[in-house]
Amino acid sequence: MGSGSPAGRCTLRSSPVPRHRPRASAPAPIDLNPRTDTPLDYPVRAFGEMTPQDYATLGFMCGLEVHQQLDTRGKLFCRCPGGRWTTRVDAEVLRHMRPTLSELGEYDGTALMEFRTRKEIVYQLDRRTVCTYEIDDTPPFPIDDESVYVALQVAALYGLDRVSELQVMRKQYLDGSIPTGFQRTAMVALAGALPFPDSELGPDRMLRIRQLTLEEDSCREVSDIGHRIVFRTDRLGMPLTETVTEPDLLTPRDVETGGRMLARIARASGRVRRGAGAARQDVNVSIAGSRRVEIKGVSQHRVLPRLVHIEAFRHLELLRIRALLRERGVTAELLALPQLDPPWESPLALDARSLLRDADAEPLQQARDRGDMVAAVRLPRFAGVLGHRTQPGHCFDHEIIERLRVIACLTSRPFMTHSDDPNSLVRAATWRELRAALGADDEDAIALVWGPHDDVATAVEEIVGRCREALIGVPSETRQAHRNGTTGFERILPGPERMYPDTDTPPWPVPDAWLAEIDAALPERPDVREARYIDGGLSPRAARLIIDDDHAELFDTLAPATALGRRRLAAALECRLVAWWRETDARTAPDPERLRAVVEATDTGRLHPEAYDTVFDALLRQSERTPSSVVDDWAGRKDPEAALTAAIGSLRPRLAAMRFSSEPARLRWALGQVMPAVLGQLTLADVRARLIAAFDIGEQDA
Amino acid sequence: MTEPTESEDYKGYRDPMRGVMQRFGVTVWSEIHARTTRGDFEGLVLPRSETADADHLILKLVSGYNIGIRHDTVLEMRKVGYRKAEYKIPEEPFPVDPGKPRVMLFGTGGTIASRLDYRTGAVIPAFSPGELYGSVPELADICNLETEKLFGVFSENMGAPQYLVLAEHVGKAIADGYDGVVIGHGTDTMHHTAAALSFMVQNSPIPIVMVGSQRSSDRPSSDAARNLIAATWAAAKGPIAEVVVCMFGPTSDRYNLLHRGTRVRKMHSSYRSTFRTLGDIPLAMVHEDGSIEHLHENYQPRRDDRDAKVQIAFEDKVTILYYYPNMQPDVIDALVQCGYKGIVIAGTGLGHVNKTVYPALRRARDAGVQIYMTLQTLWGFVQMHVYETGREILDLGVIPLANMTPEVGYIKLGWALGLHPNDPERVRELMTATVAGEMTEGEPFDGYLVLQGGVPEAAELIRKVWW
Repeated sequence: MGSGSPAGRCTLRSSPVPRHRPRASAPAPIDLNPRTDTPLDYPVRAFGEMTPQDYATLGFMCGLEVHQQLDTRGKLFCRCPGGRWTTRVDAEVLRHMRPTLSELGEYDGTALMEFRTRKEIVYQLDRRTVCTYEIDDTPPFPIDDESVYVALQVAALYGLDRVSELQVMRKQYLDGSIPTGFQRTAMVALAGALPFPDSELGPDRMLRIRQLTLEEDSCREVSDIGHRIVFRTDRLGMPLTETVTEPDLLTPRDVETGGRMLARIARASGRVRRGAGAARQDVNVSIAGSRRVEIKGVSQHRVLPRLVHIEAFRHLELLRIRALLRERGVTAELLALPQLDPPWESPLALDARSLLRDADAEPLQQARDRGDMVAAVRLPRFAGVLGHRTQPGHCFDHEIIERLRVIACLTSRPFMTHSDDPNSLVRAATWRELRAALGADDEDAIALVWGPHDDVATAVEEIVGRCREALIGVPSETRQAHRNGTTGFERILPGPERMYPDTDTPPWPVPDAWLAEIDAALPERPDVREARYIDGGLSPRAARLIIDDDHAELFDTLAPATALGRRRLAAALECRLVAWWRETDARTAPDPERLRAVVEATDTGRLHPEAYDTVFDALLRQSERTPSSVVDDWAGRKDPEAALTAAIGSLRPRLAAMRFSSEPARLRWALGQVMPAVLGQLTLADVRARLIAAFDIGEQDA
Repeated sequence: MTEPTESEDYKGYRDPMRGVMQRFGVTVWSEIHARTTRGDFEGLVLPRSETADADHLILKLVSGYNIGIRHDTVLEMRKVGYRKAEYKIPEEPFPVDPGKPRVMLFGTGGTIASRLDYRTGAVIPAFSPGELYGSVPELADICNLETEKLFGVFSENMGAPQYLVLAEHVGKAIADGYDGVVIGHGTDTMHHTAAALSFMVQNSPIPIVMVGSQRSSDRPSSDAARNLIAATWAAAKGPIAEVVVCMFGPTSDRYNLLHRGTRVRKMHSSYRSTFRTLGDIPLAMVHEDGSIEHLHENYQPRRDDRDAKVQIAFEDKVTILYYYPNMQPDVIDALVQCGYKGIVIAGTGLGHVNKTVYPALRRARDAGVQIYMTLQTLWGFVQMHVYETGREILDLGVIPLANMTPEVGYIKLGWALGLHPNDPERVRELMTATVAGEMTEGEPFDGYLVLQGGVPEAAELIRKVWW
């Protein structure tokens, strides 16, 4: 409908913005919360004050997309090394992204939004971590077999149905995080359900998994200022699995618990990367009456509950705003902005430069001095809405400001003020003049935005556009998590039409032999293993630690015969082994055959348990000696009785020379002196009895 | 070779998968529920690529992902619907502005602009002005665009018959008063076609700009739109009235280069910046705003007349002989026996071949075959007087072609022999005279710059100039 072009003007601006407007495609049914009964009068409550039943009232639903890097030798579609992190910059490449038309001949909303930002995208390259594939100057090399194998393993651990043939797809990303403009990704497995015993809602719950895909990782963002975004390419192309759950996580605590559970299961494969950034989740949140919003890239599980709680209430507040606007009779027609260039030549907006006064605040004066464009936008019947609280510390205006920051690339804050703001940068007199000029009454809100000419043109469209979206309530967005648990706009949520086949990569049939091999050697799932350990006598805490700290394999190899022996070994692995690692600053895997010596000597009673930790330590450290000789230091001495007698003899004069506060203290000290001489050969009880007899120590307080 | 209706229903499927589909009454575009030994899957059946194996069915899932299901895992397939959608490129009328130059875009089959069928991945070329406007609206800022699709062939299938048609159309566009010509072309043999046009259409009054893309235009990172925009600027308003290739300068999105059609060569299989001018510097840079920055002092300026010299001909029996050590004389004898009339040798070093083939060269000369020498080093001049071997080869009647590239030598010889099939002397004259910048009088000191990566000064340079 680009009919009204001002006389003598070209309808196209020199900037390459297609005149296609993003048509908000109907949300996929999968994105809508199944309930529509929003509890609009539900009070705002802090995280921690809500029970699972309260979240049920809200209709809270959450699903996770867990991105897990695989610990493979190289990247997924080229043979560059995996897992090398760098800050070195050998060269930089500059690119732009253009939207491509969707299946229906429309531009994908996200794609167009990214294009509207007209960003320069810079990729930093370190020659040690990238080749020409990463910068999209070489077609992909064959998909990495090892990555496919690990992905199939993880899929087996999740109990999913695996496909017969991988088809590599392209998933468009125009934010620049991948130089090709799309991510290569392949469906590996679908549809499964895991027992979810740790759920807040009861031990019988299940967590359904929708799908597991194998995909290449994106770049790491270095900076994003104005029209220039900088990425580092070391992570680009690393293989990762994306596991998508169904929205079965119905409380914030369950979101965290579920995330941890999925991570543990993937780790059981022994083939996934650990550490900062190796696993990141996208969190999908909705409540009754809202639709899915995706919070991207959360790398710590513990921040999840608060984050989704705040997001749930943001949805509630946006739905309250929608109800309010409907009550006021606001319609999309009221907020229609004719497609004009520039947009401030419309009934909803005007060029406000001449209306500013010298008494208006400093930032506006500076804008005037810089020669910025200043536009005022009338938002019909929006009075009070921009000041409506949506998140802790944020009001609805934050939704608009974030859009302007991302899409209009306005950077030097502040760049917007509005009539709902009690501390607005504009004096009341100026607002009155703006109201008069815009034909606004008291029911209307007015936003004032300033910055470079082209950016303000985009900003005016975005302000009106975001307010129009307030009529649908919660727009489909991806959002980024802030440290305080609030979120900010990142992108419009892309639709499924951004996915298409990768013509550079042939289909990849999954060999039956691989699946058979994987299934035959499948590691025990952590929850099953944990139950087995608890049955075997470990405390739940010890059982979990053994698994989470990756000692399970060693533990099962050594397999002590008794419950006591298992508890002892679990404790030694958690304390002694970790202490040794810390001391040597290396996570050296110990040789199970060496440690077997101490386990067996204790199991058979040859070594008394008091010496267990000492011998365990010695076995780790005295690697030049045979395990049996190390054990014999403690278990194999010829005559422990004689040694004890000698030790008692030499202790006698020293004990006599000392004074103690009590008899038990005297006994403890004496034990401490004598015990090392007979450690592992005589029991503590025996030695104690001998000392009492030898020194006539009173037992009354012991 | 095709069974019309049935093959559409099972497009790309062969037995055994096709048999399984038939058994369950499932065709392409069916929405199905499949029960398999590897689990249950739901989705839309897509056509299969003819080159893929015969064992799998491609299913598009609701999520947009495709997966393959192997025939022998299928227990049951149930058709629950049918959803065929035709993919169409949106067209918008290309705005006409009488104040803007007229540009003719000829299509040869390269996908300079195209759209993707999102389900099958098939690339659909966008070519009509309306389609192009729909995908690259910036073109309307530059000119009034008209288009004509001449062929639909991949770059490697371009050859003499196409050169003749293309040259004729370019000549006609000049006569018809267009302000510039753009030719969309696959990149692999773009430099061959550029050379052919340079010889067949001499003294053009308007720019003849060849353009392609290294990343197809269905990709967000494609160079196609930028190349097309830059080429259109160069054709509509550019001052250089020669056959030029307009492609990315660096791999970054920064500027395009205009390369002379007889000195340009594709130098990398996949880089955006694959086209380089060899032994000289490019004619000009085209910046993002359409402005043109001259690099080379000597070029043919745009004129108002229509006096192009169009000479269309090509002799097929011409070849390039890429010399290698231990080459046997029978290779040359075979060419003579097959009736070849011209041979362009890509020799080693300054223009050498081994002694073993001398007798064969002599036999070829005596049979009336014209033999020319170029260099497989690509840079530098043939200089056959430096070593004795060179002098001996000259005595055999092999004619040096200075710094003409082997490909340009081949095209030029085909053209010259086509023009003068019965006049060897005239051909020799044409071959040794510079017609369209294919030989230069010398090489500028920066005509050979293959930077060596890793060397500190090269590292510093690419850090600054974004490659």
